[in-house]
Parts: sequence; C-alpha cells; structure tokens
Amino acid sequence: MSREAGEIERKYQIPTVALAGDNVVSFGLGAYFKYDSGMPLRFVGVPFPFAGQPEAVAAKFVAGKDMVSGKPFMQAVVDALTSPLTPEEKLSGPAPGAAAAEPRMLPPDTPDNLQRLFMARHWTDYNPVILPTEEKVAAMLKGTSRQPDEIIKSGSGTFGARRPFTVEKVATVAVMAGAKPEYLPVILALSTRVPYMDSTTSIAQMIVVNGPIRNKIGMNSGLGALGPDNEANSVIGRSMTLIHKAIQGYNEGVTGFASLSNPLRYDNLCFAENEESLPQGWRPLHVQMGHKPSDNIVTIFTGWNFINSTGWAAQHYAPQLLMRDYMASLSGMGATIIMDPSVAELLKGAQGFGSKEALGKWLSENVEKPAASYWGNSIVASMLAPLARQGLKPYADWLTVPGDTLIKPFAAGNGINTVVAGGKTASVWFATDFRPEGGTSIDEWA
Amino acid sequence: MDRRKMLALLGISPALAAGTSAFARTAPLAAPDAAGCGSEGLVSVLNPGIETKLANRVPLAPRLATLQGKTIYVVDFDWGGMQQNGDVLHEMQRWFAQHMPSVKTIYKIKSGNFVTDDPALWKEIADNHGDAVIIGVAG
Repeated sequence: MSREAGEIERKYQIPTVALAGDNVVSFGLGAYFKYDSGMPLRFVGVPFPFAGQPEAVAAKFVAGKDMVSGKPFMQAVVDALTSPLTPEEKLSGPAPGAAAAEPRMLPPDTPDNLQRLFMARHWTDYNPVILPTEEKVAAMLKGTSRQPDEIIKSGSGTFGARRPFTVEKVATVAVMAGAKPEYLPVILALSTRVPYMDSTTSIAQMIVVNGPIRNKIGMNSGLGALGPDNEANSVIGRSMTLIHKAIQGYNEGVTGFASLSNPLRYDNLCFAENEESLPQGWRPLHVQMGHKPSDNIVTIFTGWNFINSTGWAAQHYAPQLLMRDYMASLSGMGATIIMDPSVAELLKGAQGFGSKEALGKWLSENVEKPAASYWGNSIVASMLAPLARQGLKPYADWLTVPGDTLIKPFAAGNGINTVVAGGKTASVWFATDFRPEGGTSIDEWA
Repeated sequence: MDRRKMLALLGISPALAAGTSAFARTAPLAAPDAAGCGSEGLVSVLNPGIETKLANRVPLAPRLATLQGKTIYVVDFDWGGMQQNGDVLHEMQRWFAQHMPSVKTIYKIKSGNFVTDDPALWKEIADNHGDAVIIGVAG
C-alpha cells in the first residue's frame, strides 16, 4: 500500500494519507521509507486486528486514537492532509547522512565476542557459526570459478532495497553455516533468488536439489532425507537462512513481521530428490521443468503447510485417497506431495499412476472442500477474492455459490507437484502447499 | 590507556563497538596471523554485513489549506480480499458527513488484489480532480 500511496503523491501531487494496522505501520515509517521509497508518507494507524471485526468495532476505532500520533483518529486524518509539509517532508534527492558502512573485515576480536556480535547484528539463526576468517573464506571460494568481487545481485533487500552483494559475501555466509567448498555452487544459486518471500503469516521455503551434484556432494535423498541426519542437506539449508538474515537483511520487527514465523525456516526443508528410486515413467522434478537429467538444478518452493501422513500406506485405503482427504485442508493455491519411494511404487504399480502428472491430475479432480472454507483462508481471499469479484473464472463462480457447496480448489490450474525422497522403511508421505518458484542452475555457479 | 583496554573496562567488545558507525572504520588493533588469530588470541574475520543504500528522498505532495469543499477519494486497498476494510472506511465517510459536511467522499475499491497496482484508478482520481486520498487499510 505504501507503493500506491507514494505513486499518488509523486505522480499526481495529490495529498494522501495511508491507513495501516499497528502491526505493520512501523515498517512503512521505518525501513520501507529509509531504504525503498524515500518518501516520508503520512500514516494513520488502527489497532490490529481490524479486518473481520464487527462494524461497531470499526466505529470504535474511528472514534478512538490514531495509533501513530496518539491524536483523535479523524483529527489525525485531517491533519495528515492539511498540515503544511515539514522541511524533512520536502527533501528531494540523495538522503542526508550515510548508510552504516560495512567494511570488508571486522575489527579483530575474541571468538566469543565475535559470536555475540554476529548474533547482535542478526546475521545468524542464534546457533553458533563458524567464524569466517580470510583463510576459510578463501578455501570456500575454491568451490566456484566465479570471481570473489563479482556482484550477484543489487536489489537483495526486502522489496528490492539496494543491498549489492558479491560472491565473496555468499562464501562468507557459507563458511558461517559450516559449508564445504563443494556446496558453494548450490548456495550461490540459492543466493540469486533473494529477496526470499516474507509475510506476516508463517510462510516458509523448501529447497529441492536435482541432478548429479546431489550424489557428488553427498546430499541425502534416501533414509532420513528430511531429518537432521546429513551434513550437506543440513548445512545448505542453514545457508539459506543465513543468506536471508545477513544478505537480505531480514530482521524480525524491523524489515519483517512474521507473527509466529515457522520452524521450517531453520533449515528450509533442504533435501535432494531420490531420482534413482523413481518408478518408470516418473520424471525427476527438474526434468519435469524442462531441464536435462544431467543438469544440476536447485528449486526453491514457498508455502505454509506440511501435513504428515502419520502412518504408512494402508492396504484397505489407497494412498491417493488419504492424500485427497488431507489435501482438502490446504489452501488450494498449489501443492507438493513429498513421498517415500515405496509410496511411489504403490501408486505406480497397484494404483496405475504412470507419471507424477497423472497423480496430480487425479488429485486436482478429486480434492474437494466447501466454498466457505476455501474463502476462509486469508491468503486465498487476499489474492483471489478481488479477482473473483472482477469476474475471473472459476473463482467468480466459487464466490457466489452457497458456502457448503463443494468445489475443487486445485482444478483451477493450480499445479500439484510430486517429489520423491526417503529410504523405503515406511510408506509415508507429506502433503504440503509448497509451490515451486522455478529451478535455478547450479552449474552456472560451479 | 589504549582504546581496547578502555572498551574492556567498559565491558564492550571492539567488534560490537564496530557495529556503530563511530567505530565502523577503526583499523585492526592486532595483526592476524595466517590462521586468522592474532598474537592476543584475537580473530580477524570477514564482515557478512551489507550496506543498505539509502533511498533517494522524494517529497510529499503539498498539503491542502483546508478540506472544506474538497473531494476525498477513500480507496479500499482490499487487504484480506473480502472487503472487510470497508467498515473502517465507511465509518470515516460517515464521520466526514457528520462533522465536515462540505467534504465530498467517494469510495473506490482498488482493482486487482493487494499486491497489484491500479494506475488506472490513480489517473481516474486525478482526472476527476480528486483533492485528497485516504487509502487503506494495510495489515
């Protein structure tokens, strides 16, 4: 909303006041103004939550105090549109002062003090890090042919704030995470995708690696693939978290406001697909995306939910039926099933699904949920209800049917993906709402 | 007394102090050896921090001398998607009608969803001589 308010002010010179909940107004007044817009928008704040409140509560808010200035709410609105601009609000061009300098090296200090510094600067996941000495970073850089001073991206901050970072900076973070040099191409590929998606909701990311590099660097796609049981999976996943913190500059309460956040953010569900165990006709994820089997690809998924099958596949109730049932709990905006190779074998052999795509099609045609429940998800409502009111099918139909009408949320062309991993000790699976953002070449960073 | 000893007495680590701009360019006080450890057991490390460039400043539009007789567009940003912001925005319209009846308010819902822009609406507001805009509610 800050972007829109700013455009009205800048392009049309129309005084504007932005209303925001007190949960996010500090971002608009703080980091967004300082690093993104440069425009000191005038905000008036309402208590959060405001959405979904009875009308009487809305009246109470308007009759109450502005959460920003403390003035009576409507007086604050009138003042925002009429009180003359301050010298600060009239400034144009380069911002006064300078951003905090970040020299290449930190002043020498004891290891304990440096660990504390790294935590104080929000560069870590609050577990100890490997201190990135020049020697360790130089060794890490042997994992890529890229030059240390090569700039990977400039707009790495939230909403694209200018935070240019180099190959050496990513190598520094990789050392901190505990990486080996051979992991660096994967970590560099991950870094090209910043800024990672953030939200006040409990959004999270998932990392899936495909191609020969999985085995070359010792990633686990088999027994315990999703657990804390493999160095490469664990450390590459952690690297993404540290990239999010140190390179993107994510700082809870300053540049991000995830109310509960998500424990998946500690290692970002990092694993490799068990390509060797795919049933015949089931293609690896990266090949489904159009890459060659010999390509090395890392795919970042974004989502919220992660539902465990709990037990193994039962003989009296086929796996796809329980997947269908559990998936009714998902938002319907995309899904990925992560399954053990033994589940894939059952689905292929006993149930006749000749490909991942065939399974996805069956699920999209069979997962159902009541329309009211579908729209009850605020992500669905935020993204799709406005488009439904503007006539976009099939959402327009789903918005007008009685709330108890069963709809097929994945039949709107929302992809259902499958990734196979695991060690064939139990026929287990996870139904998730994680959606791929497109694969990134690892080979380009070797 | 050198700076390191002074900081130690104050319970401040030199590296932590370097987090403030005043110390950001302080030269290393001990030359690190090949392993990154100095003679005092200090470690010299690369800085993972990145400078965030400050955005160029953009001035606000001049404010109105008064709202009397003006037209205010009340734009529903439709955060949440189910028009639930309308209650607050309509309540504000009622306030203007009651307390500043010469103010004309026009309620509009932004097209697209909360992550998309609506340049056509901003142009419509300008073309129709909207004097001011209230936009919300973000959460």
